[in-house]
Amino acid sequence: MTRRVAVVGGAASANGKLQTAPDAPLQVLEHEILAPLVLDAMAAAGLPKEEIDALVFALCRPYTLQKYFATFLANYLRLPLKGTIMEVLGNGMTGGLAFDEAVNTVALGHADVALALGINMESQAASADHAMSTMRATGDVDFHTIFGFTPIAWYAMDAVRYMHEHGATRAELASVAVKDRRHASLNPIAQFRKPLTLEEVLAARPIVEPLGLYEVPPRGDGAVCLVVCAEAVAKATGRPYALVRGRGFFHEGAHQINEVPNDMTAFVSAQGAAAAAYRAAGIGAADLDLAELYAPCTIVQVLVSEAMGLTRRGQGAAQAAAGETALGGRIPICTSGGCLSRGHPAYITGLLTIYELWEQLTRRAGERQVPNARLAAGSCELGNYNAALIHILEAVA
Amino acid sequence: MSLAFIDVPGARPWPPRVSAFTKPFWDALAEGRLTTTRGRTSGRLTFPPKPFCPYDWGREVEWVDLSGRGKLYSQTVIHAAPAAFAREAPIRNGIVDLDEGLRVAARILGEPSLDAAMECVVLRFTDGPLFAFRATQG
Repeated sequence: MTRRVAVVGGAASANGKLQTAPDAPLQVLEHEILAPLVLDAMAAAGLPKEEIDALVFALCRPYTLQKYFATFLANYLRLPLKGTIMEVLGNGMTGGLAFDEAVNTVALGHADVALALGINMESQAASADHAMSTMRATGDVDFHTIFGFTPIAWYAMDAVRYMHEHGATRAELASVAVKDRRHASLNPIAQFRKPLTLEEVLAARPIVEPLGLYEVPPRGDGAVCLVVCAEAVAKATGRPYALVRGRGFFHEGAHQINEVPNDMTAFVSAQGAAAAAYRAAGIGAADLDLAELYAPCTIVQVLVSEAMGLTRRGQGAAQAAAGETALGGRIPICTSGGCLSRGHPAYITGLLTIYELWEQLTRRAGERQVPNARLAAGSCELGNYNAALIHILEAVA
Repeated sequence: MSLAFIDVPGARPWPPRVSAFTKPFWDALAEGRLTTTRGRTSGRLTFPPKPFCPYDWGREVEWVDLSGRGKLYSQTVIHAAPAAFAREAPIRNGIVDLDEGLRVAARILGEPSLDAAMECVVLRFTDGPLFAFRATQG
């Protein structure tokens, strides 16, 4: 049995530095941040706690001391569950998979209401030390990590190849960071809200050439809870909701780079996942009113936009620079401010994507509201977009 | 024909693990040869080497020498390096498409342009070898 599934509530913390130093006399604790968000999300949904049948968590970072955080929080909230409880992991796809599993458990009838939630705490780990862990997540430990590749180094190589093949300029790529910051300035939960100029982006210290500080993701913490439910439950609340219209997934069977030389910047997994999601939703890319993309770097946003058919192949950077993907443009992308400015607490970024779409589709997005937004897409990924998971949501009022 | 050797002071920052299966790869590299495996039934090369063929899952593979020659597909310079690589930073790493139709990632020497002809060299650290690529010399 499968049935239609909706997002009817949500709540998120501010993104940024929430984690306390190990020796701070007063500690910030994960459950004390996330549990109130559960209460807020259910209040937004207008549903009592007794309706919750399942909890699907994005796995916590290894810096979170409390293990089995899921059942720990179920106890903290006194939540008996007849559906399921789990913590999922899939690198950058972690948050997206948590949402996907919550949707699945409702679609299958195991739960009428499922929460998709998580907290990502990592800001106290120094970047060079954190990279000792993440360098082992992207690539082959014995054949890639040995050279010092970091996750964003692969995206930097996308940028170099893309500019070489398509003639895109550094300024066009950098414009994505300026646009995202402008969006974030309108988002109360964004990590960075101070306006940024193109000159500042281009002059920033290099991190992975050609990308500088403002074109790679900030490190930070965040927490979010989404209320996922059967459409009948959402309808009965009398509140606006976001209906899950379609879902697409593709993994290219390659990890980081394909051993068979191919067009690396085509992002074939995003192409495949988008095609499947559009087919499932019965729509085309041109029907979308906005898209919230998993894009840790400026170049990634350009390439995913192209792969999903939101911009033209080879023209995505120029189209972004021309304002087509900005609020008020043809297809607003990353209205939250995206990974670059909203923040990128990586294991929950996929959930923050759906949170932004829910806010937009239920007209809660304030100054960054896309007028009359009806259809929206969200994406997340693994590696160098070697896998992509894309959801299409529709506004129902 | 042997690959060129370049001596590098000190040990490898993050040495690879060597298994009974991959030992021939690292031993050959130390002798100046870049090698990998080819499936006997598929005839296809794979990289890194594997004890079976990933294409037809045939269990019989043979070790073959690669030319070590190819073209530079992309590269970057990593300034924000993991702690173990702080001594080497900034690091130039890249992707090379070998003439045999394999794509590999490795350290890049010099400042070659994209699509430049590249050749593999062996970086001889005090504790063992790593492979790297540089623009083809002459």
